[in-house]
Parts: sequence; structure tokens; C-alpha cells
Amino acid sequence: MSAPITWARWRQGLRIQRRVIHALMIRELTTRYGRENIGFLWIMVEPLLFAGLVALIWRFMKGSEEHGISVVAFVVSGYIPITLFRHAVSRCVMLFQANGSLMYHRQIKILDFIFVRFLIEMIGAMMAYIFIGSILAAFDLFPIPANVGFLVSGWFLYSIFTLSLCLIIAPLSEMSEVLEKFIPVVTYIMIPFSGLFTMSSWLSPTLREYLMWSPFVNAMEMMRYGLWGERVDPYYDVMNPIYCSMVAAVIGLMLCRRIRKKITVE
Amino acid sequence: MITCTNLCKSYSHGGGTKRVLTDVNLTVERGDRLALLGRNGAGKTTLIKLIGGVEMPTSGKVSRKMSVSWPLGFAGGFQGSLTGYDNARFIARIYGRNYKEMRDFIEDFTELGGQLRMPVKTYSSGMRARLAFGLSLAIEFDCYLIDEIILVGDQNFQRKCHHELFEKRNDRTMILASHSNEAVREYCNKALLLSNGRADLQNDVNHALSIYSQF
Repeated sequence: MSAPITWARWRQGLRIQRRVIHALMIRELTTRYGRENIGFLWIMVEPLLFAGLVALIWRFMKGSEEHGISVVAFVVSGYIPITLFRHAVSRCVMLFQANGSLMYHRQIKILDFIFVRFLIEMIGAMMAYIFIGSILAAFDLFPIPANVGFLVSGWFLYSIFTLSLCLIIAPLSEMSEVLEKFIPVVTYIMIPFSGLFTMSSWLSPTLREYLMWSPFVNAMEMMRYGLWGERVDPYYDVMNPIYCSMVAAVIGLMLCRRIRKKITVE
Repeated sequence: MITCTNLCKSYSHGGGTKRVLTDVNLTVERGDRLALLGRNGAGKTTLIKLIGGVEMPTSGKVSRKMSVSWPLGFAGGFQGSLTGYDNARFIARIYGRNYKEMRDFIEDFTELGGQLRMPVKTYSSGMRARLAFGLSLAIEFDCYLIDEIILVGDQNFQRKCHHELFEKRNDRTMILASHSNEAVREYCNKALLLSNGRADLQNDVNHALSIYSQF
């Protein structure tokens, strides 16, 4: 096991990794969505419905525009990322137990389970985003992104932070049942700190200062700047989500390593 | 070669801790056919799981210098909600094998016919054994970890296993947990006696069986 880490070995590892992720993705999609009707396209239906319906409600509550930007587009741009976060987290709860039978195959590591479930949620949310965005844009309800780079990097930072939280939550949920029960509540309480409802520039400076600690808010501001460009006034610090993700990922990887020793497989 | 060094495994649940294996040292050479002997709960399955890398030791180390199958047993290795074919396809993918060849082999070996199109959770234990053996034989491991299940099949299946595993692949290594003295005597050249978490390797199988009968 202690053979030197050579280039060839690394490439071999990469090949196995790709094989495993591919196989697990297909397996996950077939077990979750089956082969009937629209099959794996279901992965985008939920974020789509959620964002769409909430946007509709807001549209009737608040009128078509607020602070000069379309309410529907604003809500959609906030809800799709939050559904990614909430789904990815809830999918990670008790994940290792659910996949116990897969640990019979040594090339599958517990991190693969997290990556695969996260990837599926992320791809689903991205598809939903593009789909709903294009439809709304066709009706002039959604802006053509002013700066695609900002939109994509904001999305990327948001996703990376979500993934690093998943790395913590998956092992924690196995360690303690109390924690497992708290997770839905915590993800709900997270909503105001996700930058979903407002732009930071619409808030009072004190409140804004606190919210800027949240990596989600920073990433969300970047995405919205990417969408509306100069029509909004973004506050963000690129490094905040990066640092937070790094810290969370280190803690998560350590927890995963610890829990692997304790997992009992039937 | 498989080497286990100072292997310990304990399970803790709630407040209690149960030590199953204590300081197991073991070397399995290529071509060895090792029987694991021990009463229920002595740690045979646990040792097989540790060697197969399904569970991790509490302390100590397992090193594998050949390809080792997953533990072939009643549980594990399959996704119950997927069909036999889907499981075969999954295993072909993660081991990088050609699915078509694998499918042909398991269709022929397992003789499960249309049942392969049903979810594995509807299979009897004999049918699971057939599928598990079929898949692992199609992959061609150097070492096979067999937990009991060789004895669940019917006559025909046992004959097939005998032919495929012990005649065609008689150069392979095997670790077999079994309560059947005949099977151990017939197939194995070494035996590991497990009791109270300790392991004792015997090179004479008949001698090992006579010690085991006194447990």
C-alpha cells in the first residue's frame, strides 16, 4: 500500500475515479428517477416548480418591479441557488448508511457518494436555471446576463461552499441522531442569510456588515451583478466564500476520515 | 500476498464496546486456501470484511498485494432495488470490464433467466449466491473471499462452483468462512481458528478441525 506515488499511479487513480463517479451517477439517477416518462429530467423539475411558484406569488404581492429590477427574475435568481443548497444538504443526511452495500467495492470511497449526490443536485439546478431563465427571457421577464463571467463564478463559489458544507454534514449526521434532526431547521434558518430576499445595497449599513460574513451572500451578490450589471450595486468579497469553503472542507474531510473507521456495513 | 498486522476491531454502540478481534497477525500467500473456523460471533465475517476493505480496522493494518474480491456473502455488494442486470452493469463499470461479456457469462453461469430482470431484493439467498459468484468470477480476482454462501446453492450450483473455482481457477487464493467440515477438508490447505478474538493459524487442516470440534 505504501508504493511511491508516481505519475502513472496517479493517472490510474484518476481513471478509476472517473469510472466510479460515472457508474454511481447512472446508478443514482436510475434508482431515484427510474426509466419511465421524463426520467432523469426530473432533477430539474423541483427547483423549477419551487422557483417558479414563489416568483409568481411575489409578483402578485409586490408588483412587477422593485428597485428597478424585475421581481420575478430577482426571486428566481435567489431561489434556484437556495434549492441547490437545501437539496444537496438534505441528500447528504445519513448518506453512508444508505449506500452501505456499495462499500463492498474498495474502489468506491465515501467521498464519492457526497460528490455524486452533490453533482446531481448541481447539474439539476443549473439546468433549471438555464431553462427557466431562457423562458422568462423570451417574455422579457429575465435579463440577458450583463456579465456571464460574474454569474458563473458566483454560481461556482456558491456551489463550492455548498459542497464543503456537505462534507461536514454527511459524517455529522451519522455521528449523532440529534444533529440529524436539527439539519432541516438549520437549513430553513439559513434562508435569510443566503442573500435570497434582498441586495445588500438595499439594507442598512449595519445589517449589511453582518450579512457580508455569509459566503452565500457574497456569491449571490456576484451572480446578481452578473445578471443585471450596473443596474444593481453589488457588495462582495471573492475571498470570503473561498476561505470559508477551504476551512469547511478541511473540517469535513477530517470528519469523513474519522467516520469511515466506524462505519459498520451489514 | 495479503498481510494483516496487529489487526484489532471493536464495535461500539451506545455506551458499550465489544471487541471482536484482538491483535490478529496473518499472512496469506498466493495460492493458499485458508479456512476460517470459529463459532457464531467469533469474528469470521468481521475478519473477511476487514480483509476485503469493507470495514476499517480499529487499529492495525491490512495490505493487499493482489486483487481481492469483495466478500461474497448473503448481504452486501448489491443494490436491492436494482435488477440483476443493472447490478451487473454497475459492477462492470466500476471494475472497468466489458458489460456484454459479463452479461453473457452470468446468464450462462447463474441460469437465472428472466429473473435477472427482477430487483435483487426479490431473490432467494441461493439466487443471490449465484449472482455474486457469477459476477466475481467474471471479473477474475486473484483472491476470493467467501463468507458461507458456497453451501447455500443446490447440487447443480455447487457442481458449477466447484468446476469454475476449484478446477479452472485452482491457482487462485481463497479465504473461506464455513461451518461445513467437509467443505473445509476438501478445499482448504490451511485453517485459522478464531476464538475470543484471537486467531491461531494451523497448517494442518485436519488437526485444526479436531481442535475446532472441542470449542
